[in-house]
Amino acid sequence: MKLIKKTIPLAIVFVFGILTLLTYYVPHKHSVDFLETMNKWENIVTAFAFFLGLISLFYAHSTKISRKADGWGYSLFVFVGFLAIIIPAYISKGKNMNGAELTWMGWAFQYIYNPLSATMFAVLAFYIVSTAYKSFRIKSLQAFVLFVAAMFLILGNVPLGQIIWDKMLGWTGYNISQVVDWIMHVPAVAGKRGIMIGISIGAVVTALKIIFGIERQYLGKD
Amino acid sequence: MSHTVLIAGAWISAGLTIFLFSFLYKDNPFFKIAEHLYLGAGMGWWCQIYFGVLQEKVWTPLTHHEWLVLLPALLGLSLITQFIPKISWLSRYGFTFLMGYGSGLAIPAGLATDFINQIGGTIQPFANLAGMTAFTLFNSVLMAVGVICVLIYFFFSLEHKGAIKKVSNVGIYFLMIYFGAAFGNTVMARFSLLYGRFDSLYTFSGKQYLYATQVILIAMVTYFILHGFLTRNKADQDEEAA
Repeated sequence: MKLIKKTIPLAIVFVFGILTLLTYYVPHKHSVDFLETMNKWENIVTAFAFFLGLISLFYAHSTKISRKADGWGYSLFVFVGFLAIIIPAYISKGKNMNGAELTWMGWAFQYIYNPLSATMFAVLAFYIVSTAYKSFRIKSLQAFVLFVAAMFLILGNVPLGQIIWDKMLGWTGYNISQVVDWIMHVPAVAGKRGIMIGISIGAVVTALKIIFGIERQYLGKD
Repeated sequence: MSHTVLIAGAWISAGLTIFLFSFLYKDNPFFKIAEHLYLGAGMGWWCQIYFGVLQEKVWTPLTHHEWLVLLPALLGLSLITQFIPKISWLSRYGFTFLMGYGSGLAIPAGLATDFINQIGGTIQPFANLAGMTAFTLFNSVLMAVGVICVLIYFFFSLEHKGAIKKVSNVGIYFLMIYFGAAFGNTVMARFSLLYGRFDSLYTFSGKQYLYATQVILIAMVTYFILHGFLTRNKADQDEEAA
């Protein structure tokens, strides 16, 4: 039982991990074909993984409805939202536009999904501002540097920032967009590069640990 | 698509936008409805995408007698056994495939993009030292110094004291500039979404959309006033009864 429960899954990780890794360093038609096939396979398995999540979500909300748990009425709207997209998608065969005309799918995207998605993230703007107020209380030089960089980025992208800059520092001969550009391309890149190099080392080490079966927490318990 | 359907769309869009914005005042049933709708609609959106993937990459090849796709399909199906405790271990086959493929892909991608390219990008400008202006030379030196300082900040094998501490402290300033820039960009992205929503609300407030925004907004405000008034009265009554 240990063989099919543990050894074979670990062998699958090892084989697919090593083969995928090698394809990058072996410039041959077979390795390109292999990578293409694996990419298709990954898309298929990911699609099933999505359905795993979908079933889990539906199960949780249908249980809530059947047990009439607290706030069960809201769970009905999960199914309403789902059907509001899936039915138009089925009618329109997954196409948003039919020539220049909006299909039912396009309608559902434009008037249901897009407002919900965009507003949900837009609401965060208010919370970001309130968080900024709390976190930008300048207590140290480092916090001041963070504040200045953020302010340049924010003001540099709006006309108000340009007006303020022109009034106060216009004599320098530079405009604020040049300063923003410099911040983004020199000191910010230095910070970002340090982080990216660190992350890449961590990612490579973790990937190697997974391939060689040292890291196996994702297998779960027996 | 008829004009009536577009007007209905405008009302739904304006309604959902206002429902979600109502959370800024306080948590309320309208926000919760919109929140749950978003969850469902999001899943619906991805469902039609993944359904298309399965149709294109499993169903169509099978109709052309390409039986090899059965293998990833079975690996994928194995994931669903998560719901059957007795055979849930089968799902490991699907997960291990994803982990193996993902890890194998992450190593060269991580090394090439995030490691070698970043180091290369820092060193490369110095290859053209003769053609550099004083300003570009200053920028290149500043960037190289910044990268080294940040790396030393993240290097924990050496105790951060003396010169190492000073260098790693300089690294913190570069990190702060990056975090500030990233924060500023995030704020601007969120605000551009916000302008977009306000623009939609403004559009739907027109006569051709039967003043959708105003009507829904007034209805929401009326609800909050009435709800506040009724709950306060109830609370007063409960207090008197107690």
